[in-house]
Amino acid sequence: MEWFFYGFAFLMAVAITASAVFALQWASKKGQLRDFEKGAASIFDDKEPIGQPTDFFPGKAPKSPR
Amino acid sequence: MASASSLAASISPGTPADTVPRAELSEIDDSTKSPALFFLCSAILWLLVGTAFAVISSWKLHSPEFLNQWEWLTFGRARTAHLNTVVYGWAVNASFAVSLWIMARLSRSVVRHSGILMLAGAFWNIGLTVGIIGILAGDSTSVEWLEIPPYATPMLFIAYALIGGWTVVTFRFGKSEHIYVSQWYLLAAFFWFPWLYSVAQIMLIFAPARGTVQSLVNWWFAHNVLGLWLTPVGLAAVYYFLPKVLGKPIHSYYLSVLGFWSLALFYNWAGMHHLIGGPVPAWVLTAGIAASFMMVIPVVVTGINHHLTMVGSFHMLKYSPTLRFIVFGAVNYTLSSLLGSTMADRNVSEVVHFTHAIVGHSHHGLYAFFTMVMFGSIYYMLPRILRKEWPSAMLISIHFWTTAVGVIVMVIALSVVGAREGLEMNNANIPFIDVVKHTVAGLELRSYSGMLMTVGHIAFAVNFLWMLLKPRTAQNSEPTLFRQPTPDLETAAQ
Repeated sequence: MEWFFYGFAFLMAVAITASAVFALQWASKKGQLRDFEKGAASIFDDKEPIGQPTDFFPGKAPKSPR
Repeated sequence: MASASSLAASISPGTPADTVPRAELSEIDDSTKSPALFFLCSAILWLLVGTAFAVISSWKLHSPEFLNQWEWLTFGRARTAHLNTVVYGWAVNASFAVSLWIMARLSRSVVRHSGILMLAGAFWNIGLTVGIIGILAGDSTSVEWLEIPPYATPMLFIAYALIGGWTVVTFRFGKSEHIYVSQWYLLAAFFWFPWLYSVAQIMLIFAPARGTVQSLVNWWFAHNVLGLWLTPVGLAAVYYFLPKVLGKPIHSYYLSVLGFWSLALFYNWAGMHHLIGGPVPAWVLTAGIAASFMMVIPVVVTGINHHLTMVGSFHMLKYSPTLRFIVFGAVNYTLSSLLGSTMADRNVSEVVHFTHAIVGHSHHGLYAFFTMVMFGSIYYMLPRILRKEWPSAMLISIHFWTTAVGVIVMVIALSVVGAREGLEMNNANIPFIDVVKHTVAGLELRSYSGMLMTVGHIAFAVNFLWMLLKPRTAQNSEPTLFRQPTPDLETAAQ
């Protein structure tokens, strides 16, 4: 019985490793590892643009936010 | 489902263009409201319970007679209850809330089927409550980090599977073309943890492996809970909030991707350093030590990246509560990881193994890094979910300073006292009772620093509750907050 579980654990480990290799290959194919500037800027948008801090202590923001 | 832009256009065709992205963002934030609040409330309740167990068990170490009339509060049970409440109650509930919010925002996808998340949250918290009561009643499995009795764990696993599945669905239906580095970390974490948990449960509890294989599985699991679950979630939050709060992109996106893939490659091996000196094959230990040192690569890469992003913006620490907590956490990620790699060295491990220094190191990683990052994330998320300001800046300050000073004192006290304890234990001429007596001053200092942190947790809980109950006023009902938080500017804008 225990060899069944060892086998199961081993297969899981192989599957997890294979999925990591697949994820890396997929990322590379889809261009996720290119154009890093675009990647870094992807969390900003028109409403929360680059150059605008978004968090202040309540009531303690500078008078004229950039 | 109707998108924010189509909704806005159908309600009022003359909607200004900039309303759409704002509405979209707040629609996403809004959709996370019930599950995020549910997880946050549970997390904070567990944090308070866990803190109480922490203070009790810490006090017992220097005053063993404290509360010793109740068997369910003896050290073995109170300490175990502390570990399980703070890790599976506070840390995991908080990471569910933070990761679902970040995931929804980054995938630009509203939360669908939030009922699944609520169900998962109910399973998780009921399972955990049963587990903690089981531990207090004496049913602990005695396997470190997996002490929750087997009758409670299936509920935790079901909860986790539901949340993991939901995360993949949100990612899959997202609109964002680019996978931001935080999403890499979160997806990986949600993928890795069920694997760790199920394999460890099977090989330790349901069909226990024989002999030393048990300890190998135990430390593979216990170290990876920190490394492959809490660390990726914490780093995902840092990579999102640091640039977002500052309003500037991460210094080098290339380094962040390198950091992710090197962590994915090396961390999984590192747990074996817990068994240095133990009766396990030497090559396993050597591989674990080598991996622990390889971890210097992702840690240094991540540290440099965060630091260079902050350069030129340190004045922002004065204004942003989130930034304070996040930067404190990020600095301590670098420090505790580098110390951790050093502690994996055979000669260092000979001294610090089985001493209070290890406990200090756990608090360094789990509190000074992870918990502080979660606090920072919650300070950012909650106003956007509830569309209200935090009610008290002073309580935030109290929270920051008590927890920051408290955890630094605790880590230093335990590391110093632990190193001395280790050196003395290795010297056969020193009687063991003397070694124990020499640790008392450090343990007392740990209790006091813990009480300081308790003050911070209470301040946080009060501010949180106050925020939930506070009515939403005209001044603080704008969806994107903190842009112009001074009341006169707010009123002028309306």
